[in-house]
Amino acid sequence: MAIRYWPMAAAAVGFRLVLVLFGGDLHLASRPEVSTPLTSLRRLAEGYWLKQASVSPYSGSMYHGSPLLLSVLGPLTNSRPDGHHAHIYCSLIFVAVDFLAAMLIRATGHKLQMARNRSLKSIDLTKAVNDTVNVSAGDVASLIYLWNPWAIVTCVGSCTSPIENLMVVIMIYGACSRLAPLAAFGYVMATHLSLYPVILIVPVILLLGYGPDAPPPKVFLIKGSSASKSDVSDNDKTTRQRAVQQFSWKPVLHFIFWLFILSCHVLLLSSVILKKVGGLHEMFEKTYGFILTVKDLSPNIGVLWYFFAEVFDFFRNFFLIVFNMNIIFMVLPLAIRLKHRPCFLAFVYTAIVAILKSYPSAGDSALYLGLLGLFVNELAEMQFTFFLFFGYIGVSLLSPVMHNLWIWRGTGNANFYFATGLAYTCLQTVLLVESVSSMIKHDRKLRLLVSS
Amino acid sequence: MKSVPKQEAQPKPRLIVRLGVFLASHHILFSVLCCSAGIITLLLLPSLAKNTYLSENALIPGFANPLFSTEDAIEANRFMKGIEAVLANFIAQQIEALGAEVCYHKFIPRSKNFHPLKFFTSMTNDMAIQPNGTDTNFGINTIGIVRAPRGDGKETIVLVSPYNSQSVQSNELLSLALGFSVFSLLSRAAWLSKDVVWLSVDSQFGEYVAVSAWLNLYHNLVFLSQSVILHTKMYGANHINDGNSEKTEVMAFKCAGTMVAALIFKVGETRRYGDRDSVMMYAEASNGQMPNLDLLNVVHYLAVHRQVPDYVEGTANLANSIYSQALGVPTGSHGAFCDYQVDVVSLEFSPTFHVRNDNAKSLFRLRGGMLIEGVVRSVNNLLEKFHQSFFLYFLTAPSKFISVGMYMIPFALLLAPLPIVAAAFAGGSKSMEKPVDKLIEHSKADDIADIPQSKGGSCKWLQAAKVLLVIQLWAVLVSLLPYYITQIPDATPMQSTLIWVVLSIVILIALSVLFGSPYSAGVEWKLLKATLITSMSIGLGLMSIINFATAQLGALIVIPMCLFSRPLKASGMNFLPRSVLLASNIVFAVLGFPPAAVLIMKGMSKGSCSWTTDFGDFWIWMEFLWEWSSETYLYLYLVHLPCWLLCILVLLHPCRQLESKIKEDWLFGLGGIFFSVGKF
Repeated sequence: MAIRYWPMAAAAVGFRLVLVLFGGDLHLASRPEVSTPLTSLRRLAEGYWLKQASVSPYSGSMYHGSPLLLSVLGPLTNSRPDGHHAHIYCSLIFVAVDFLAAMLIRATGHKLQMARNRSLKSIDLTKAVNDTVNVSAGDVASLIYLWNPWAIVTCVGSCTSPIENLMVVIMIYGACSRLAPLAAFGYVMATHLSLYPVILIVPVILLLGYGPDAPPPKVFLIKGSSASKSDVSDNDKTTRQRAVQQFSWKPVLHFIFWLFILSCHVLLLSSVILKKVGGLHEMFEKTYGFILTVKDLSPNIGVLWYFFAEVFDFFRNFFLIVFNMNIIFMVLPLAIRLKHRPCFLAFVYTAIVAILKSYPSAGDSALYLGLLGLFVNELAEMQFTFFLFFGYIGVSLLSPVMHNLWIWRGTGNANFYFATGLAYTCLQTVLLVESVSSMIKHDRKLRLLVSS
Repeated sequence: MKSVPKQEAQPKPRLIVRLGVFLASHHILFSVLCCSAGIITLLLLPSLAKNTYLSENALIPGFANPLFSTEDAIEANRFMKGIEAVLANFIAQQIEALGAEVCYHKFIPRSKNFHPLKFFTSMTNDMAIQPNGTDTNFGINTIGIVRAPRGDGKETIVLVSPYNSQSVQSNELLSLALGFSVFSLLSRAAWLSKDVVWLSVDSQFGEYVAVSAWLNLYHNLVFLSQSVILHTKMYGANHINDGNSEKTEVMAFKCAGTMVAALIFKVGETRRYGDRDSVMMYAEASNGQMPNLDLLNVVHYLAVHRQVPDYVEGTANLANSIYSQALGVPTGSHGAFCDYQVDVVSLEFSPTFHVRNDNAKSLFRLRGGMLIEGVVRSVNNLLEKFHQSFFLYFLTAPSKFISVGMYMIPFALLLAPLPIVAAAFAGGSKSMEKPVDKLIEHSKADDIADIPQSKGGSCKWLQAAKVLLVIQLWAVLVSLLPYYITQIPDATPMQSTLIWVVLSIVILIALSVLFGSPYSAGVEWKLLKATLITSMSIGLGLMSIINFATAQLGALIVIPMCLFSRPLKASGMNFLPRSVLLASNIVFAVLGFPPAAVLIMKGMSKGSCSWTTDFGDFWIWMEFLWEWSSETYLYLYLVHLPCWLLCILVLLHPCRQLESKIKEDWLFGLGGIFFSVGKF
């Protein structure tokens, strides 16, 4: 695997470049699966134009992104070379961003792998577990991210999702390698760009406090008790005790400190950019408010647009609360159950967010599918992988067909497209449930192996 | 330590999982039952057809007495008598005389296009080609527009009557006259609330081309800075010196509102031996798209008084309808309208009178005019777009239809066993290992290292999926080849077919060199078959949404082919069932290959078997499909052909797995013997 990694990665980047340079008439940017009101680059260009005209970029309900993106990507949207598609410079940046994200996923994978080997060694199971499946998780994950058709489509389709994904990946990498400032930077930026990563604070703090994923603490306890019965030298005991790590406050406090500093910076920068054309208040209203109140009901691959198009106006607020709380409700139970595997917890959270967020797109799925690759060794015994794989293929082909039937041919209706969205949500749910349960099974297996 | 086995005792699987396991274990019985039920219901479909009914109350057909009278019929007669050599000009003059607006539309025939993905892109993207002054080979449509006295000019009804400007037949003249008389009546009608556009189509390059060119310009209007240059062909030689000012005004392209519905009517050949006049309705547009059923209902309500056909006739109608939908090629110029979401129907009148019989002719004109007026009047009543009635249906007779809910049943029955069989085969390779796995877990043997030995099986299918992806890549490349092959000048169909076949084989070999041959990774045939069936059910499911008829016909061929497929070398069956399976495998493998199927069909229908021309015919047929941007072409290449190839791969699977294992055991045994001998 390691030998063939670089050619594959290079081929993926080359494929993206080919699509960016020559795939001008694919019209991916207009697909509802690819770009949402939050991430569409066309809207960003509009916002930039408004800002240049000394009008608030948020006026007219076109732009709902961050002012920072506006000043970074905005100037690039203005220049349009002939013969290429409109946002070619931005797309080239996105290719680089995707590559960087893949590299960081790979590095995270290596970190996780090292931690895994260390903890397995301390409970004497290296041979037992590693004999079966021991592929380099980082390589697999980053190749999945690079070759995932959805990631490619998102990258080529002129939307800002790759940057949001990169920020989440930076955060996870920083937390895994205990670089508090980097983790804080990724966290602040990801939250600033798309709000939902705010719940990732739980895994980040766990990662900084306890270190990367390890078998459940119970395993170490059992091992310790069984070891104490037999005659083992003191040296071994101490290594085992070290493996069960205590929560270390220092990096967490460090992280919180940086969190404050960086969020102040971001707010300051935003207000400087928006000076004279609107304030921070408008920014919060038009970005976070837009996300939370589901104002745009144009179809996407999620399920909320249909629901809020149907719901009576006087129930709207109630259901807004219900749907937004839905995400919050799952945070605590999952955190308690999976606290020994914070990185996996981060994957679960991103998947939940991708299912339940108000404007989901293929880019969100690309992120969590990439992260799923990090646990390829632990999840090797997952069930239904065959049907999940083909289900994902089927749904991603079905979605454009249904959209066409509804919008262009007029023989279908909104229910057709919504049915695909439902099927897609079901698939994601099954994937999530299966991955969590097989991770728990894996932990149970480790315990059995230790106690036998 | 004692409590470990208790904890470890597997919880009972959920009910749905158990149900799935039960079905999967009886998958052969299940698939036989489902497939036969599917075929039986398919045969029963004609007798399950329901009577059509008008869903949209606003239509109220036949509510008002038709105003079309004998005087209008006489006007049509006058029109026919006065026809000049240059028809377009004459029609324009007549329309102007009515006080309606008139304009010309000049177009050049489109060259052949390769648009396999046209379905997925919007229709309005391609710009209209403007003829420039130098072209001599162009056609002219004449358009008359009546502005509705009560309307707001937002909606239009389109009437189309085609004629060939190069050689005008008498029946075409009759349809033009009919169109003109209806148009003249409508130009005086006070009740009109939608604009009426009368399009007399110059069909010298084919009706479809002319209509689609006009529609394209109508929907992608280009504002020309200078007026189009006049041409002698348009006005005739004697008009060339006339004052240009009023003519250029005529040239400017005129539009009305969005189209609500369109009606294409033409008079067919005279039927000598029929006892009454008849009207044929054609509605199949590209990719099996149909107009709203209500439009057909209105026509049927106003035109028809003949009763229900029997089962045989209904089946023939249904088969005809399924065939023309499955081909994905429109049956007339109405296809162009359907591309723009306009509900449309083509009417072909077949009169029974003699051409010279003036009396019968005027009666015919009266009847035709009343029908057209009635339809226009009904559509005129509409307040919304057609949406009430069905879009997805088959007609077994003008008054009998099978709705989507009904015709999906046989297809769903055919498709139902596929996931089950796939699950059985995908799980089958795992279940062989499960007992071993459980055994070890229960015994908790000392060497724990053995436990995971049997694991990792859940991702074995990745190899099979890789084979599938490589084959799909091959299929995409092969489907693009014809586009490049047609660029070769002066190639006969036979040559093109040969080039295509050779190139596809070369690509296949190249891909298998690049990605490794399908058998080298040691893919089990069961997993290969599971992948095949899953990919096929995805493909068929998608196609059933795009074009149901294609999927239905395809399912009848592909599903038995895939369900029967089994490696020729596989053992473990008695002689008789095995030989039957073998024979059916080979038959399906031959029938499933598209060129072979076409060849056999041609040979059966013609009787004579001239091998080479028939092989060339396949190319022509293929070219026909992609010229009309039919998705059937994509289905053939991206679903059918990969399935066929995977089937062949399954058939030729070497089944080495068991043998190699046996060999290994044998080697171990041998080594053991040597070892013990060495000890001695």
